[in-house]
This record gives sequence, structure tokens and C-alpha cells, in this order.
Amino acid sequence: MTDSNPRLVTLDREANGIAVVSMRDAVGKNAFSEAFVADIEGCLAQAAADQEVKVIVLVGLPDVFASGAPRELLVKLARGEEVPSDILLSKAVLDQPVPVIAAMEGHATGGGLALGLCADIVLLARESRYGASFMNMGFTPGMGITRLLEHVLSPALAHELLYTGEFRRGTEFALRTGVNYVLPRAEIRPKAFDVAASIAEKPRVALETLKRWLSLDRRRAFEDTRTLETMMHEITFRQEAVRQRIEDEYVD
Amino acid sequence: MTREEILAVIKKHLADAVDDVDLDEIDPKKSMIDYGANSLDLVEVVSRSMRELKVKIPRAELNKLENIEGLVDLFEKTLQEKGG
Repeated sequence: MTDSNPRLVTLDREANGIAVVSMRDAVGKNAFSEAFVADIEGCLAQAAADQEVKVIVLVGLPDVFASGAPRELLVKLARGEEVPSDILLSKAVLDQPVPVIAAMEGHATGGGLALGLCADIVLLARESRYGASFMNMGFTPGMGITRLLEHVLSPALAHELLYTGEFRRGTEFALRTGVNYVLPRAEIRPKAFDVAASIAEKPRVALETLKRWLSLDRRRAFEDTRTLETMMHEITFRQEAVRQRIEDEYVD
Repeated sequence: MTREEILAVIKKHLADAVDDVDLDEIDPKKSMIDYGANSLDLVEVVSRSMRELKVKIPRAELNKLENIEGLVDLFEKTLQEKGG
């Protein structure tokens, strides 16, 4: 077992080649604070470097998978005091050499949803909610979600979620999407580990080779979005009303 | 708009948001959490109700509410101030 930081995100390696990255910042609700981002990037880097790992399961807290940028960071972005850096978090997941499974038992909002969508296999809980909340606060979406969402939803539905910022229940994704599994919350982890065990039976070289090919579209799409989403942020974060909207609409 | 009409709007969206809630059994003295609503369910119920009632209430005000009746009061007050 390896352990990067037991407080916010941890990495555990099971004997059968399954690595588990656990986001466990209950106080911060798995929002992307500086310390959280450093922790998760550390865990992902460690997992990527470990030749024994064949599949990674990304888990959050039972009620919150991940909730994106914290309010304070958004305010700083709106003031022009910081530039978004959490975009690299998407890349850290997309660039993992082996398949990643996102076991999203709890809510995932904004960048937290984007993070889960970087996984190769996505599981959502029927009773949790998922939403791209960026536009609620008056700025355009980030972390690659403008394209990542289309990997699991039809472009029409993805665009609706991006425009409206609605938090949709997992049940609403059950029949009309490409999400791998929509299950009762209690069944998410067992199913995720079941799938992981099946993947972990395969040779690492074959998994890496297939992953490189199957993830190519999303990795390319992500590179496009890095430039375009950053440009859109420069336009939208500059609007005077955004600061107030962040105060009014941020959900924590 | 009457209090009953406001309550009906909230109940409708609550019943849509959570499983196994019978519209007729919703007691306004209770909190939506009592009916199994989680934090984001609350956000969606309130957002959808605000949209239907055509009112806007700051989130800080909503955090003070203790039960469904409190939300009805707040919507009623806001609608009256708006002249509706």
C-alpha cells in the first residue's frame, strides 16, 4: 500500500493490480483546493508510474464524488488574481496509461463532474445528482467538459446540461446515455470493483496499448478545449456581474 | 397567487425530485430533508419553483429556512413585494 496524503486523497494498491484513488476531503466536500489538487495529482502520478497497476478505480465520498473549484478560487479567478490550474487534473486522469473507472456514488458538480468524465468507465448513482454548474455562475465551462460530456451523452443532451447548469438525478441518465452503469448508490462500489477485476486479469501491455487508442479522441478533444475554454474564460470571467453571481449561485 | 398555489408548485417539484413521495402526504411543517431530499435536490426544487413562480430569492435567504412552510412564506412575501 502506498499513501500520498491520508487526509485529502489516498492511493491504495490491491494485490490483483487494482489501484484505488480515494478522494476523502469531507470538510472541503472534495472541492479542488490547492492542497486537494496537489494530493490527487500526486496519487495519480504514483499510480501511473507503478507497473503493477492495471486499472484505477477513482472513488469519492458516499454523498459527494467531487465538487469542482471552491468558491474562494472562483472569486479569485473572477478578480483576475488567479488563472485556472485545475485543468491539469483532467489531463492527469486522461493520460493515465491504464483504464480508469469513476465510481461516482455521490454528487458531482462542475469540475467534479468533468473529473469523473475523464475516466474510461463511468458509474453514476440513481439518487445522486450530476450537473455542469458553471453557467449558473455566469462563466463558461472548464476542465474540458465542453467536449468530455459528449463522450457519455449525446451532443444535444450534453449541450443542454452545459447551457442550463441543472443538477440532474442519476436516474435521468439511465436510459438515454452512454454512461456505463446507473445503479443504486450501494451497488456502485461492488460493480466498479467487479469491472476492475475483469480488466485487471488482462496483461498490462495489452491494456496500455488499447487504452492509448481508445482514449485518443478524448485526449485530442481535451487539447482543443484547453485553448478554447481558456479563451472563453478570459471573456466571461471578466464580466462585472460574475463575482456577484458566484456569491449568489455557488452551491456548497 | 394564493399560499395554496405556491405550496402546490413546491410539492410538485419535490415529488419530482425524490423517490417514493406522495404529493398528498407532504406536510408543509416538515423539511424537504424529511422526505429524503439531499442538498442538490433542494437546490433543484427551489430553482424550479422560482422559475415557475417567476421570483428570484438569494441563496443566503434559503439557507435560513427550517421547513416547507418557511419557503412558502418567503415566496409569498417576495411575490407580494413584486406586486404579484
